[in-house]
Amino acid sequence: MPLNTDVLWYKDAIIYQVHVRTFHDSNGDGIGDFPGLEQRLDYLQELGVNAIWLMPFFPSPLRDDGYDIADYHTVNPSYGTLEDFRKLLDSAHERGIRVIIEMVLNHTSDQHPWFQEARSSHDNPRRDWYVWSDTDTRYKGTRIIFVDTEKSNWAWDPVSKSFYWHRFFSHQPDLNWDNPAVGDQMWNVMKFWLDMGVDAFRLDAVPYLVEREGTNCENLPETHNIIKDLRRKLDEQFSGRMLLAEANQWPADLRPYFGDGDEFHMAFHFPLMPRMFMGLKLEDRKPITEILQQTPEIPASCQWSLFLRNHDELTLEMVTDMERDYMYDMYATSKSMRLNLGIRRRLAPLLNNDRRRIELMNGMLMSLPGTPIIYYGDEIGMGDNILLGDRNGVRTPMQWNGGWNAGFSKAEPQRLYAPLIQDPVYGYPAVNVAAQKESEHSLLHWMQRIIAVRRSNGVFGRGSIEFLYPANHRILAYLRRLGKETVLVVNNLSGAAQAVELDLKRYKGNILIEMFGNNIFPRVGDLPYLLTLGPYQFYWFRLRRV
Amino acid sequence: MEAMSYTPSGAELKLEDETFLSDDFLRQLINVGEVDILIGLPTHNNAKTIGSVVTTIRSGILRGFPRERAVIINADGGSRDGTPDLVTGVSIDDARPAANLYALRTLHSISTKYDGSAGSGAALRTILAAAELLRAKACLVMSPEAAHLQPDWISNLVHPIYRDGFDLVAPTYRRHKFDGLLTTNLLYPMLRALYGVRIREAYMPEFGFSGRLGSQFLGQNGWHDGNGQAGVELRMTLAAITGGYRICQSFLGEKEHVERRGSDLIPALRQTVGVLFSALETDFLVWSKVAGSKPVPTTGSEQELQLDPIRVNRKRLREMFSTGVSELQSVFQSILSPSTLTELQRIARLGEEEFHYSAELWVRTVYEFAASYQKSVISRDHIIQALAPLFRGRVFTFLVENRNASAIEVENNVEGLCLEFERLKPYLLQMWKSRE
Repeated sequence: MPLNTDVLWYKDAIIYQVHVRTFHDSNGDGIGDFPGLEQRLDYLQELGVNAIWLMPFFPSPLRDDGYDIADYHTVNPSYGTLEDFRKLLDSAHERGIRVIIEMVLNHTSDQHPWFQEARSSHDNPRRDWYVWSDTDTRYKGTRIIFVDTEKSNWAWDPVSKSFYWHRFFSHQPDLNWDNPAVGDQMWNVMKFWLDMGVDAFRLDAVPYLVEREGTNCENLPETHNIIKDLRRKLDEQFSGRMLLAEANQWPADLRPYFGDGDEFHMAFHFPLMPRMFMGLKLEDRKPITEILQQTPEIPASCQWSLFLRNHDELTLEMVTDMERDYMYDMYATSKSMRLNLGIRRRLAPLLNNDRRRIELMNGMLMSLPGTPIIYYGDEIGMGDNILLGDRNGVRTPMQWNGGWNAGFSKAEPQRLYAPLIQDPVYGYPAVNVAAQKESEHSLLHWMQRIIAVRRSNGVFGRGSIEFLYPANHRILAYLRRLGKETVLVVNNLSGAAQAVELDLKRYKGNILIEMFGNNIFPRVGDLPYLLTLGPYQFYWFRLRRV
Repeated sequence: MEAMSYTPSGAELKLEDETFLSDDFLRQLINVGEVDILIGLPTHNNAKTIGSVVTTIRSGILRGFPRERAVIINADGGSRDGTPDLVTGVSIDDARPAANLYALRTLHSISTKYDGSAGSGAALRTILAAAELLRAKACLVMSPEAAHLQPDWISNLVHPIYRDGFDLVAPTYRRHKFDGLLTTNLLYPMLRALYGVRIREAYMPEFGFSGRLGSQFLGQNGWHDGNGQAGVELRMTLAAITGGYRICQSFLGEKEHVERRGSDLIPALRQTVGVLFSALETDFLVWSKVAGSKPVPTTGSEQELQLDPIRVNRKRLREMFSTGVSELQSVFQSILSPSTLTELQRIARLGEEEFHYSAELWVRTVYEFAASYQKSVISRDHIIQALAPLFRGRVFTFLVENRNASAIEVENNVEGLCLEFERLKPYLLQMWKSRE
């Protein structure tokens, strides 16, 4: 299945987020690798995803799970060779699967040779590749992101006896994007991977590229200029490739990252995700519709990227204090589940392993405007291990079967990069791909089905959205429209059966076709359209005039 | 709609009873769904005050219970001044976000016109039925005229139910010492003496109740007879007492003094004394075994009195007493004992300076009225009406006695009257049994 040639391919994509280390170990060293991932591409193809997003696989001291890059031009030997990566890329493309890789522009590891050179001497040519200061009082208005571990955005370098700027961990010094040499070098890095055939970059931590006194050092115009420059080069030299922004910001602050269609193609919609969980717990659509009402229009060529869970904590930065307290109380009853301003848990445990709620959340993920991202293992309802530090509890080995090391690796169990989930509910003997393949009604099969239905209709990836506001606030209902195609989505956020009357007068005469079973529902008439939904049930209807 | 008719006895809400809710109201309730807190607002042409009342209630909910599922339900008696629109206008939802207000969840504010004539009974019945259908855990009924309503009144009434497991929360207020004279001179002391429970405001303008008490009360008989319509708040208090429900009081704050016309007294007596006298009959096995009284748990301050002067026409009260004793002599002969009637006639002839309607004589008067009510010596409504001039005589004495009294002294005097009611309770029992 060749890759389609549509330059807007990302609008119709179903993205699967995976860390090479976590997926499959082909050489028995206890660490997942490129050949292992390549062996599992058939699984991903069967699942129906058409893009994979690989977390950082570069050489790294791994003090931030690879986001502390020590060399941008090769791969971490633990995961294989550059040639292995090339083979993975080709194999994915043969299956119609595009490959998105991470690119950390904002900072490097303090072990990167660039930083080692920069700190070695004030006169070193690379000194100005990072942000240095004699004091730690500059840029006072800048918030600290990792509040649990960092006390300041400045760290003292005992080698060059200066402070250096870091927005994340102190072992991740920020690059100085005011130095044109940095921009040139980072484009060369991107070009290196684009030349190899990589389809897209997820650009990490983009709001923080530039610092200016008297600002909060986020979302600055100079940062946007940098993005525009990168985008221009990309379009000129690599048409059809894509940039995805990681910018954990409010919608109004995110909007500029799309520019006039000349910055990012896609950006994560961070504020929506916690509000989906909030709406589910409150049994009230208000948090979801409110944030989407506040979401500005974006250029036609751009797209939101939606997700339920990812490799990080369920971030609660983009919620109010009241909402954060509520989320903590509802979803992180134990303090150990909390990290920074978030909750470090996977989807299934967050939803108490309630299949109906897992399906509903995935249903919304697949039907709200944007490109959905599935975090590896969530398609089978994997659990987490909150006893592992940082965010490692949601980064445990993929559970392929109930056998040795869950089919992840042939290594001695103690050699695995992280322990397997072994608890009675989520442990690999109970939750694994092989078992779910055998069961017609497994979550895995259900996920395959919903992905197929989503992909069967372009309205989900490219259509407009119009919310209906039925008086029953437990019902989240919206119309997705693209050309002559209209799909009605009705979600019951409540754990109890609900009745709802929908105002569909405009569609009088249409019949509703339920998209999973292709069954016909009554024709729309003059009266409000009455539907009843079971607990956490949802419907997708195509509207057809017959 | 079901015709207003007497319903045969039954402990639970019957299906046919639910049909008094209109289809439109049921549709609104379906949209609201299960709630934690329900605020009931009985209204009838309250447009002047209802806007600020519902706004304050909404603030109280958002401030005190931002996470709870709440609804404001207006049972309207057919207002023609736009009252229901003012109530529904405070809804908060995603289609109509409230300006300058942040709400975690949707807040519905819905309205229905209750069937039948304007009256608190029909309104409360509507509210109770809604509370049961929505499975509300804590319910409040708020006065549409509560000018002094503060947002924290909501928390003060809800918390004892929601957090502490009480079933009925009666209010206490900061009142003027001469406000609520029917309560201080009759209702409170008599209810306390008979039922043994010290509830200061048994005829409650604002109150809270648990879902289970609401359901139990809704299932009681008599919603369609005259007693069911009048004084339903007091009936609910009595139901809570006799049903063994957990009762407490919550101090709310200042209660505004409302000027009442003299003609308001008869309806007030019907809704309080009439209900109480009527309940004595059915509750005999309960109150006849009670000796003394106990306080109920109270949050916040106890009843507080203000000493600002308010104008009361004492002279007119005494004149109405004397005229009443004279004109209703034949009625009183059927109701009162000869010794009590003789004593009343004696004081009726006294000048203003000498006039004194003692606590003992007042208690004997009230008890003899209660016993006569039970016996139905004449029309029960006539008995209630006949009490009015005597009550005015008693109020005259109360005003004179407390003219210059401090708040503590007034409280002591009320306490003295209460103890007199308790002391003479055997007299009532004796009359009750002898008349059986």
